[in-house]
Amino acid sequence: MLLDIIISGLISGSMYALLAIGFSLIFGVARIVNIAHTAFYMLAAYGIYFGTYKLGIHPVVSMLVSVILVTFLGLIAYKLFIDPIREHEAAVLIATIALAIAMQEIMLLIFTGSYLSVPALIKGYFSIFSVKVFYQQLLTFGAALLILAALWILLLKTKLGLAIRSTAEDREVANLMGMNESRVAMITMGISVGLAGLTGAVIVPLTILDPLMWMHPLIMMMAVVVLGGLGSIKGSFVGAYILGFAEALVVFLIPMGAFLKGSVALSIMILVLLIRPEGLFGIAFEEER
Amino acid sequence: MNRRRILMTALAVFFLVMTISFPALGAKTIKIGVIGPMQFMQGKGHWNGATMAAEEINAKGGVKVGNKKMKIELVKADSNEFLNVTDATNAMELLATREKVDFIVGGFRSEAVLAMQDIAMDYKKIFIGCGAAHPELCIRVAKDYDRYKYWFRGTPINSKFLVRTSFIQMATVGAILKKSLNIPKVRVAVVAEKAMWADPLIPAAEGFLPKIGMELAGVWRPSPVATDVMAELSAIQREGAHLILTFFSSSVGIPFARQAGELKIPAVQVGINVEAQKDGFWQATQGMGNYVMTLNTYNRHVEVNELTKPFVERYIKRFGETPTYNAGTYDAIFYTLAPAIEQAGTLDADKLVSIIETRDYKVTSGRIAYLKDAEGRPLHEIKWGPGYQTSLGVQWQDGKTVGVWPLKWKATKEAPEITYKGIVPYKIAPWVIEKYKK
Amino acid sequence: MGIVGFYIRKLWVIFKAEVLVLPSRMVLFLFFWVLFLLPVFTQDPYLLRILILTSIFAIFAASWDLLSGFTGQMNFGHALFFGVGAYTAALLNLHAHLPPWGSIPLGALGAVLAGLIIGIPCLRLRGTYLALTTLAFPIILMGIVFAIPDITGGELGIYGLERLARSRVVNYYITVVLMLVLCGIMWKITDSNIGIIFHAIREDELAVRAAGINTTYYKLMAFCLSGFFAGTAGGLYAHFMRIAGPSTLTVSMSFQVVIWSVFGGIVTIYGPVGAVFILYPLLEFFRFWPEYRTLMFAVIILLILLYMPDGLFPWMRDKIETECPRCKIRNVANRKTCRICAAPMD
Repeated sequence: MLLDIIISGLISGSMYALLAIGFSLIFGVARIVNIAHTAFYMLAAYGIYFGTYKLGIHPVVSMLVSVILVTFLGLIAYKLFIDPIREHEAAVLIATIALAIAMQEIMLLIFTGSYLSVPALIKGYFSIFSVKVFYQQLLTFGAALLILAALWILLLKTKLGLAIRSTAEDREVANLMGMNESRVAMITMGISVGLAGLTGAVIVPLTILDPLMWMHPLIMMMAVVVLGGLGSIKGSFVGAYILGFAEALVVFLIPMGAFLKGSVALSIMILVLLIRPEGLFGIAFEEER
Repeated sequence: MNRRRILMTALAVFFLVMTISFPALGAKTIKIGVIGPMQFMQGKGHWNGATMAAEEINAKGGVKVGNKKMKIELVKADSNEFLNVTDATNAMELLATREKVDFIVGGFRSEAVLAMQDIAMDYKKIFIGCGAAHPELCIRVAKDYDRYKYWFRGTPINSKFLVRTSFIQMATVGAILKKSLNIPKVRVAVVAEKAMWADPLIPAAEGFLPKIGMELAGVWRPSPVATDVMAELSAIQREGAHLILTFFSSSVGIPFARQAGELKIPAVQVGINVEAQKDGFWQATQGMGNYVMTLNTYNRHVEVNELTKPFVERYIKRFGETPTYNAGTYDAIFYTLAPAIEQAGTLDADKLVSIIETRDYKVTSGRIAYLKDAEGRPLHEIKWGPGYQTSLGVQWQDGKTVGVWPLKWKATKEAPEITYKGIVPYKIAPWVIEKYKK
Repeated sequence: MGIVGFYIRKLWVIFKAEVLVLPSRMVLFLFFWVLFLLPVFTQDPYLLRILILTSIFAIFAASWDLLSGFTGQMNFGHALFFGVGAYTAALLNLHAHLPPWGSIPLGALGAVLAGLIIGIPCLRLRGTYLALTTLAFPIILMGIVFAIPDITGGELGIYGLERLARSRVVNYYITVVLMLVLCGIMWKITDSNIGIIFHAIREDELAVRAAGINTTYYKLMAFCLSGFFAGTAGGLYAHFMRIAGPSTLTVSMSFQVVIWSVFGGIVTIYGPVGAVFILYPLLEFFRFWPEYRTLMFAVIILLILLYMPDGLFPWMRDKIETECPRCKIRNVANRKTCRICAAPMD
């Protein structure tokens, strides 16, 4: 039972971590709350389905192509709809909501509302201490760790990462220091959408596709980001696993109340915020005058 | 600037005028509104069934109303009921007032249908429900007959009957397991999605199981849209369940079947799994949904009566997939409304209601007669039972669905034994046989 | 007779001086009259239905603006007030048999209570944290609603409620008059001292506190007032639809109101109201193309936001009116001199 909880928590935690970090990145750097983040995740998932079933390409190739295409699409959408109105935060927010709705509708038109699925990359399962784990779940967990490690290296060891981190800390000063702030924002947007796409690639064999699949992860992802602290990558990482385990606990300990896992996770978030309004690792924003 | 202001005002007026002046069409046809979530399978089923019925009737010249023949004209209305109940009610109102339909068929989500029913009753339009199973829809007819009498249930049988049928199917499968695998006492795990319609099932199952010599292994209630049910499956396996009684109406039916198949959980699945009724289930579970059994209304190989096969075959030929129960709009139009209109000789709703509610007639899924409640008040609920509506039990066997129930079924000791044409024996999943066969 | 004539002439003078001078006031004037006189020209139940729903949602959207636009506390869970108002009114109506004019105000009070409950934890939060936290509340409430289906009716909701009035036209007048009155009250609130403090809190809360004003009190008041109006809208909705269901608590209901308000222009009360009156009938109008409806809706929003990021109505208003540089009074844009102080306007 304990192992069940640990494994289940690790898997869902990894999924939330992947999504939350991308979301946190773009918020920290460009102050954009990208409601369409999980919608890009959905697009990549559908791309994989399309590639695997309609075009007959090998799933892995499908995945790579989808991620690249989705990143591209995300950058175009950003340039066309978000960049021109970046100064108006409320408008940007609504624009991302409208984008997400538009993507949902396009998927609904092309693929209809039926539930679809994608084959696992590695089929089968194995048992650890009498708990069954799918190979695909292990792959997901491994991929999550790998991606997180790669991101960590990117952010801490490369010049680009330095640019991203400093822009996140103080936009104007970074600009003064010679970093092209809008270019950094665009690159971060690309990384963020790419991460969303990668999450789609990695998670999709474990879940069902339908045009509304972006809504639930969105709520959980936002809860994770808020819990961990906006703009803090470490916070998103930690918050993701906390909420992942919380959900697993609810599902296992109260099987009759499994549907409450969302509410419980959100309540935890609110409780933490009551104690620490910036989230666990967040930076309390200076009142920007 | 002045010009722009004029342009804006003109646009606003244009929109206003457009919404007001929707043209009313000529009244030489019988207008039937088909309302449902048209972007989804359920709405498509509604529309397809209705289209087939309308085309066949019109091909024969139409419906005889008095001494002239009137053709049927269908009006499609997307209720969008999954996403927005307000939208559904607006769509219904549009049908009743602007489109001035004479009859309405369709509906799916119970919350939305309750609201849509009210509107249809406001305008005294006959509304035949082809999707929602909630008993309240018909209880209202008994409680306030004058207002709600225009409602009839078309499909499915209401949720109480659905449950009764799945219990019977479970008992049948349990008996098969007991006999072929020599299991002394079959343990049943009840997995019901956390939704209101499934709530009464738990105590009902708990009471029913001991009566047929089976025991309850446990109750699990995943979210209707859960995508990962490993937790539930491991627990079920640990409890040593032989049979999983499923009650899924939403997407959780897919991951449950898929993961249970992938993990080769040693238990058979019986019950209600709406996703398993659809042809796309095989792909959605990546082929892992083999041997899943569910309640269903139509199956390509099963003939409930002489009307079934022609309907199912024509439907498959035309739309490429097996009809779901939502395609009961065909029955609603072809066998319920049209003959009643011809008998009454008029489109008057009140006269038609009194004719329909006393009829006892064949449809493609069985036979329809309307029930009355304990106090003798009409419910306009369709009757369940041998010879009437029983639904089928279908099982996925190697990529296609086959009918496995009723096979030599006796509803009561005195009732005749029923086997529909085309029913084949139930198959136990090989990994279950392997686990238990001694 | 002379007295009547005197007052009529006075009315005319006021009208000429106050209303006719500014196009935006003319539009508002015409808007009032069109709404009032519409049933005289057409009694099409569908059209009236759409306008009733639009009015209800207009109250809802304006209440959001009162809270999030004016005090800057972005509330992404506004559906909470709507849902609480709807469910409370429904429960009171069904079990306590209160007629609508009793259950709706009490429902609104229930929403006020909800406003207090979520306003207090939100005092410590700022900006996006506040927004995302408020998002959580309706979801938690929805979980509770599903957990106690015996009281709340679970996913079917509470049905069988009384109507507001027997006939569609009377329903229409009730909601439209209520909408005009409530939005008028909201407008008056923002135009008063309280409104100034709301503006100030949005701009610079620290400075307001430094000026000795208890911002906690005003922030909570904003939540409660907003909750009251949104709850009224919820109660009206429940009685009009005769069902109060979990669809009143969904995330998309919360998002809808944000979309409407930002589209129409925040920090104005007329912005959200106008936006609802344009967007909701537009969405219905798009029924001609059922598959593309929502897509077109989303695309229109994206395009409008691209060109008018401050909102549609502020943009339109800026095109037809300008402010006098000296006395700050609004004038029609094509005037050369201010109508009050005769200063040149350029």
